[in-house]
Amino acid sequence: MTSAEQDLHPIPSVRPKFSLDRIVQWSMVVITILLVVFPSWPIIYQSFLANPLYDKGRTLTLINYAHILSDTRFWTIFEYTIGFAVATTVFAVILGVILAVVINRTNMPLRNFYSNLVTIPYYVSPLVLAFAWMEMYGPQGFGTIVVRALKLPTWHLYSFWGIVIVATMYYIPYTFLYATSSLALSDPQLESAARIGGATPFQTILHITIPLLRPAITYSILLTIVSGLELLSIPLVLGNSVGIDTLATYLYTLGIVGVNKDYGAIAVVSIFIVILVTGLVYLQGKLTSMERRFVTVGGKATRPKLLDLGGTKNIVSVFVGLYILLGIILPLACIVLESFVSFLSPFMNPLKVLTLDNYLGIFQTPAYRQSVVNSIYLSIFAAGIAIVFMAIVALTAYRSNFKGRNVVKYMALYPRAFPGLIVGIGFLWAFLLVPGLGSWRNTLIAMSIAFTMRYLPLGFSAISPAVLQVSDELDRAARVAGATWLGTIRSILLPILRPALLSGYILLAISFLKEYATALFLFSEGSRVIGTTMLELWKQGGAEPVAALSTIQMVITAFLIIGSTRLLGVKLHE
Amino acid sequence: MNNDLIIQGLTKKFVTGTQPALSDISLTIKEGQLTTLLGPSGCGKTTTLNCIAGLEQPDEGVIRVGDFYMTDTGRNLILPPEQRQIGMVFQSYALWPHMKVFDNVAFSLKLQKVSRDEIKKRVQDALDLVGLGDLAGRYPFQLSGGQQQRVALARAVVTHPRLLLLDEPLSNLDAKIRETSRVWLRELQQRVGITTVYVTHDQSEAFAMSDMIAVMSKGNLLQYAPPEELYEHPATQFVAEFIGATSFLKGIVTSVDKNKVGVRLANGDEMKITDHSNRTWNTNNGVVVAIRSERVEVASDSKQGGNILHAGILSSTYLGSKWQHVVDTGSGSLKVETIDTVNEKRLGLFLPPDSILLFPEEK
Repeated sequence: MTSAEQDLHPIPSVRPKFSLDRIVQWSMVVITILLVVFPSWPIIYQSFLANPLYDKGRTLTLINYAHILSDTRFWTIFEYTIGFAVATTVFAVILGVILAVVINRTNMPLRNFYSNLVTIPYYVSPLVLAFAWMEMYGPQGFGTIVVRALKLPTWHLYSFWGIVIVATMYYIPYTFLYATSSLALSDPQLESAARIGGATPFQTILHITIPLLRPAITYSILLTIVSGLELLSIPLVLGNSVGIDTLATYLYTLGIVGVNKDYGAIAVVSIFIVILVTGLVYLQGKLTSMERRFVTVGGKATRPKLLDLGGTKNIVSVFVGLYILLGIILPLACIVLESFVSFLSPFMNPLKVLTLDNYLGIFQTPAYRQSVVNSIYLSIFAAGIAIVFMAIVALTAYRSNFKGRNVVKYMALYPRAFPGLIVGIGFLWAFLLVPGLGSWRNTLIAMSIAFTMRYLPLGFSAISPAVLQVSDELDRAARVAGATWLGTIRSILLPILRPALLSGYILLAISFLKEYATALFLFSEGSRVIGTTMLELWKQGGAEPVAALSTIQMVITAFLIIGSTRLLGVKLHE
Repeated sequence: MNNDLIIQGLTKKFVTGTQPALSDISLTIKEGQLTTLLGPSGCGKTTTLNCIAGLEQPDEGVIRVGDFYMTDTGRNLILPPEQRQIGMVFQSYALWPHMKVFDNVAFSLKLQKVSRDEIKKRVQDALDLVGLGDLAGRYPFQLSGGQQQRVALARAVVTHPRLLLLDEPLSNLDAKIRETSRVWLRELQQRVGITTVYVTHDQSEAFAMSDMIAVMSKGNLLQYAPPEELYEHPATQFVAEFIGATSFLKGIVTSVDKNKVGVRLANGDEMKITDHSNRTWNTNNGVVVAIRSERVEVASDSKQGGNILHAGILSSTYLGSKWQHVVDTGSGSLKVETIDTVNEKRLGLFLPPDSILLFPEEK
């Protein structure tokens, strides 16, 4: 075409002023940014105010910072928290890696039987695990009393190391799952090559298998430290009576237990934790991207060849079995048993004190019954809406030519730096402060929004890999065939992504069901959830009703997992 | 001392299946020679290789190099791979991504507690041997596919192993590099003089590289012979089919005179065949006549005489250097090749009596 012809037929400007695609993409960006900014700014604002932020007459000041940063108690707690998080991480990662290797790569007897059992704590709320250990190994615990009766030395669960051990139990499955999926992806020929080169099975594990896990180990270390820093339940339940505090329990005490609440202090401690965690999350991203050389690409699918442990295999199996029995099964069994008796003691035949009173008590008290109903509602409906939202956010980030898509990527992952407790504080204050939203703050809608923000990174990173695996030629073909961006998503991408959406949904549902920290500041009459009610009952000293609630939560979780994996064929892990 | 690799009665059953993965494989591989295990996927060639390496355990059989027994199920002896003193190159090369090239190659030597200076020298020698002496400080991901393959080979030979095992080492390379690599690999093997077992499903690769070829199918060893013999005298119809483009026509034996066999094809055409196998033939035996497309001489349709078939062209494909035609002889279809285009619809095909292979009809 010559330029003269072009002049004769100028290309008309067909770009519409209004496109549904753009509106949806814009809303995803705006909502994602709002979800992060909305609960953040009141905390930042409050940290510079001397009075509570809803008081009249606000003046900006730095006194809160001066106050906290010169408080020796704060720094003691800070050191204690770091010590707790580091010790927990060291144990959890070492044990998690060992478990992953012996279960996935050796001929240890019962390895298939063990492989599901070791992941149990991943699905159980840390609050439930804390109660379970308390009932089994606490000063008046079932196991402790038995050991004491046998005149054997006992232990102090309510201590630094006691808390570290229980937290280790909770975090082992995280490392285990990352290491396991990393092992599944790595090429078994790498291990065969070492055997051919003269390495024994043990040398192969030491020099090849474990070094190859380095990216998974790095990731697990940072994940466990971050979660350890913000973990509330285990230090609270086990450390409260002996005056042990971490940053999370300190914040909890400042904001919920204290009579004259120091809002400035709450805000400053929150910001301090968020900055600390942000630094670690940033480091995690840096380290992960440096591990490119560990990407191993296998040849054709070969059967993984098991490493022979020889004579030690039975001993190893017994140790793993003892860990599962003593660390997971017995404490959880103890709390289930306790929920069905009026009083649990090794000196009493539990069959003689069998009762359903604990459950009746919960279902006959409207507030407690409501908390169970609310948790189920959040886990079924709120998680369902949340996963669809997160999917569209992921598609905007990875499958659009929208200018703001990179902002979305970062914003969607940023809530990882916000501990649940702080998310709750932020939303509470934001609802109080924005005119017209005050009446929302104690509703399930507020709770759903806060939970969605808290778990946005989880859902986003569960869906993103699946999105990236779908060839973008499929989208282009649909666009060429005449579909809009939204039409492509509806008729091409969402159907292809259905398995990923389903497993993402189940993960979110389980997380929403066991979440308690986000709800602690936000809940009131009518918006209790199982976790907050458990803490209320525990403070009143009701061990048996707490056991009943724990059991209810575990049964619903088991139902979700078994139903989705058996009936719907959902894969919760790679 | 004789250091041949001897495999006797190697048998391996699948856990559930009825058909064995390997049934009674016996092979002798002369010291310093390269033998290829050739066959389609699932034929048992990789299983055999893994049994030699000790990565899989056979149910029965003996594997030894001279007097060094690696496997002897009769004595319940199955050495683990690390005690067999072998070198192996894997299909994916299996370079350990967390180690530099130097450390990959040095790994076995370190385990053998070789002194540090000695390790340095031997790793350098091995890398020089494969022409990568200056890449010792790189990580595997910084290398091209061809370079990775060379590092894998250096790692396999640095310990001076008794045996070198190669598991389709060229299959991940581009077609062009693959051709130069196989020449290079063969030269290197002959220079080092190491007894080598090579696994591939590519028959041209096998012909280009091997002293001996073992053709396998469904866990059985069908034929073990040098490449020329395999090509000229395939032992079974399957071997003939697998190693070259061959067409098959059915027929009935009409006369036998020593090794001159007369065969009548389905449409009544008579052929004379000089049979080089030592099979005995009787008249009225059902037989399969195997014809190689490159041996068929194409003439005009009017040509008459012995061993001439008349056929109509069904399709023609231009392959670059030649044309390949599928023709219908009336007794079945046949592939033939010509240098020039063919304008006729029908052709006369002369089949030299020496170039036709005869197999008993399979029931």
